[in-house]
Amino acid sequence: MPESEIELRDVRKVYYKDRIDIPVLEGLNLSVPAGEFAVLMGPSGSGKSTLLHLIGGLDSPTSGSIRVADSNLEQMNERELTAWRSRNVGFIFQMYHLVPVLTAAQNVELPLLLFRMPSSERRKRVATALGVVGLGDRMDHRPNQLSGGQEQRVAIARAIVTDPRMILADEPTGDLDAKTSEEILNLLNTLNTEFGKTILMVTHDPRAASHGQRLLHLDKGVLERDERTPARAPAAVS
Amino acid sequence: MALPLYYNWRNLQRRKLSTTLTFIVVTVVVVVLCVLLSFTAGIRASLAATGTNLNLIVLKPGATAESTSVLVPDEIGRLVQTPGIALGSDGSPLMSRELCVQTTVPRRLSARDKEPAPANVAIRGVDPIAFDLHREVRIIDGRSFQSGTMEIVVGKAAHDRYEHTNIGDEIVLGRMENRIYKVVGVFDAGGATFESELWAPRTSISDSYLRRFDSSVVMRLQSVAATKAAVEFINGPTVQLEAKPEPQYYEDLSKKTQDIVVLSTILVSIMAMGAIFAVANTMFATVDGRRREIAMLRTIGFGKWAILVSFVVESLLICVSACSVGLVLSLLAGGVKQDFLSDTTWTVLAFEMKITPGILVAAFMLSVIVGVFGAITPALRASRMRIIDALRKA
Repeated sequence: MPESEIELRDVRKVYYKDRIDIPVLEGLNLSVPAGEFAVLMGPSGSGKSTLLHLIGGLDSPTSGSIRVADSNLEQMNERELTAWRSRNVGFIFQMYHLVPVLTAAQNVELPLLLFRMPSSERRKRVATALGVVGLGDRMDHRPNQLSGGQEQRVAIARAIVTDPRMILADEPTGDLDAKTSEEILNLLNTLNTEFGKTILMVTHDPRAASHGQRLLHLDKGVLERDERTPARAPAAVS
Repeated sequence: MALPLYYNWRNLQRRKLSTTLTFIVVTVVVVVLCVLLSFTAGIRASLAATGTNLNLIVLKPGATAESTSVLVPDEIGRLVQTPGIALGSDGSPLMSRELCVQTTVPRRLSARDKEPAPANVAIRGVDPIAFDLHREVRIIDGRSFQSGTMEIVVGKAAHDRYEHTNIGDEIVLGRMENRIYKVVGVFDAGGATFESELWAPRTSISDSYLRRFDSSVVMRLQSVAATKAAVEFINGPTVQLEAKPEPQYYEDLSKKTQDIVVLSTILVSIMAMGAIFAVANTMFATVDGRRREIAMLRTIGFGKWAILVSFVVESLLICVSACSVGLVLSLLAGGVKQDFLSDTTWTVLAFEMKITPGILVAAFMLSVIVGVFGAITPALRASRMRIIDALRKA
């Protein structure tokens, strides 16, 4: 049994709004081994994005423990979480969130600016990341000169350029057509199987979900179903 | 780790209109600051360049300027006993009796004038010994006047500004405007206020203006150390006049420029406040327009501090570049010759607007203050933004 990359124990998350407690996650337990491609599904308001944010260190639980990439997130302060995210997690968003005034290469370079390294090394890593997503020839293009699929590829390159242990994707194909979605999902599969990245993806789309090895169904803050998709085997973790 | 400068620079180009308007506002503030400060710096430089500590100027007690002072011969006679007074080569005391009167002369026509405007100008009646006491005064064109004649020499600044002040010109002066003086020379006074004056033989001016008494006496001391005793003697019961070292007299005249400095400071402060609000407005719009971008940067690992610095830097880029343009425009205006009507002497003081290094530093500091204060609140809002809220609302 591979070591758990993500380990949640009795995690609760309650939001306070207008003096009312709004429970979002109710005593959630979850274990995701390293190298697994897990998919989070569930209706709107079920807590998928909240769970993704907690695992990504963007929010903290009301109670319970979250251990991700060998770190106890609930014990870290905001500054430590920020540094932890830059080292361990690559984020992919539905709307790509590229900086429109920067080129593809400059967008991909952004996370590397947080690390001390020579600019030649940065350029090399950027070229490699863009090469992996098949955009080696679009380095100097601005986002408005790229298609939606290409923009998401640039966002994926930005997510992997620091070689993080895991990738958190929040509806990465939600804004793409079926053909482009398939290409992006295949790319995520490649990152999982060939590069050994642990991936946790939130989606509403059953076709997208079929690309994962494990389906986690959330409803009203509770993990209702946890099932494996037999077609795909987990990546070998080195 | 900070975001790269090119990120800020390119972002400025995303909002061309608001950036340009803010740029213009800051440029205007910088230009106004430079013009007002260079105006006072020019007046002060002109007044500060006038006089030496070896000279005492003697006026009637209570007179604020030579133009309101009258000295009778008896009083002047007692001044020769002043302790520490320097003697000339002939053994006589180095004392210059001077008679100051005002007259109006026409300004030289400029391109926008239809007819020459009159200006109030100081005429100084002096004896030849005056040139031994006011050693900064040098004839640079023509020659000096001869005693007892209707000849006149004109200061360099007066020559530049007023009609009938070329060598060989005749200028009508006198209380009845019936005395014709011939311009025989132009003098330089090292930037001192004398350069705005016309100098003629004292006796001729006395006659032309029916003024029997002198306005002031300038006397040379043997050393600066003799000043205290000399001033006490003149101010004391023996003479009962009022003596001041020349620089102090002209400094007192320049105190009126303090009012201009105060008014300038108030005006520039109000404008700077407006500029701060303009910058803040632009930066708030920028922050609101880039919420998801900020959230993304925070998500991938940029800290609050990096976001805050980035927006302050962006604001500073606008303000400092606007300051540079404002300074260039101000430097073009620097050296422009201006007139200032002194409310003490009621004569025109001609001076050059001076852009000093201090003014450049003040303008730069102002632009930095506007940039930082204008950006700080929006930048704080950006840095404190809750990442998940910004991601959801994006």
